[in-house]
Amino acid sequence: MSLLDATGEAFRLLFGGDPELWGIVFISLKVALLGLAIATLPGVLAGYLLAMHRFPGRRALVVLTQSLLAFPTVVVGLVLYMLLSRQGPFGSLALLFTQNAMILGQAILAFPILVAYTLSAVQGADPRAHETAVSLGAGPLRAALTTLNETRFAVLAGVINGFGRAISEVGCALMIGGNIAGLTRNITTAIALETSKGEFAQGIALGAVLVVLALGTNVVMAILQGEGGMK
Amino acid sequence: MSPLLRLARLRKSFGERRLLDLDGFEIEAGHAYAVTGGNGSGKTTLLRILAGLESGEVEGLQFEGVPLACGETHREIVYVHQHPYLFHTSVARNIAYGLKARGLRAAASRRLVEDAIAWAGVDALRQLPPHKLSGGEKQRVALARAKVLRPRLYLLDEPTANLDGEGRRQTIELVQALAREGAGVVIACHDRELIELPDMRRFHLEGGKLVG
Repeated sequence: MSLLDATGEAFRLLFGGDPELWGIVFISLKVALLGLAIATLPGVLAGYLLAMHRFPGRRALVVLTQSLLAFPTVVVGLVLYMLLSRQGPFGSLALLFTQNAMILGQAILAFPILVAYTLSAVQGADPRAHETAVSLGAGPLRAALTTLNETRFAVLAGVINGFGRAISEVGCALMIGGNIAGLTRNITTAIALETSKGEFAQGIALGAVLVVLALGTNVVMAILQGEGGMK
Repeated sequence: MSPLLRLARLRKSFGERRLLDLDGFEIEAGHAYAVTGGNGSGKTTLLRILAGLESGEVEGLQFEGVPLACGETHREIVYVHQHPYLFHTSVARNIAYGLKARGLRAAASRRLVEDAIAWAGVDALRQLPPHKLSGGEKQRVALARAKVLRPRLYLLDEPTANLDGEGRRQTIELVQALAREGAGVVIACHDRELIELPDMRRFHLEGGKLVG
């Protein structure tokens, strides 16, 4: 099949409502969004605490977070594979090659992004915001929520970026998901598989979906940053 | 009658440099105090320590006769920054913030917020976000946001700095009104008109010591 034919077939799959293709898209979105949902609260909390408190080892944690941002996803997948495999310490949970394992992996990948964005947002926030909240009687939780609310556009940018990493990564999903059709095959692992078989049509169609998702998240982020800049 | 706030000793250093070395002083309710001094004399730092926003070596700090730990905020003490920070929401919600933080329900706080809005003369601004306000309007909103809590002690950092004309006059009137209503008001300032108001008590900071 020529590249032109493959592209035509890709459009047919996309707009013809091919159930297999849209099933893969659904699995991708489900796994990425659930992973992000799990990572958001601890990620934002950790970022806030790192920004607001000075304690021994803080600098090391900040460096570790920054290092994790650039950590190869396949290495995260490898570590999780070893932990979740039958011989691993969590093998009895029978998570390997399940959507739950992929959700866990994508939560781990999104976590440092959420920490780093929140840390940067809160550190860059006007210190008077927190002081004003405290002086007006806010307790630690309300003062924290107020500060995060005042920096919400920057924090949300972290959430969107975390989603971007989760939806577009292939290494971790392939290692611990196993690319099982109808179960753990997501957009990126399907593209890798179909291309390796010389079947370009589905790969092109899924690639187009991924590009639209990536563009969409970046547009949302640009809008949010614009909103933040208005204040 | 015991003073509103009493302090036996306060020291504050930044590295080798001792910024404040104050012997005891007292603040009484119903009076306004102007803390004067040159730039960098420690006026703002003094207010921030009293507000519990900054630490220092403090001995014998009492509020209404009850010991108060340094670095601890008190619900009867409210600090207002030189350039007040207004949250990114409407003026009305800014004013209601402290009441909400103290657990008052919206229905119960509505009347108090309305009173504070009327007191500060910001009725026409109630739905505006902070970036639409002038410096003087922000200052009045910040004073209303503090007053709605009915604290016993206001700590105001340069409330008329960078204001001119009507905004400055209105702010001075509001500051005077706070003391008339029975609260203690401590103001860090350079503004001669504010310092020389009748009944204004004065502290001057020089070389880290209080003079006068």
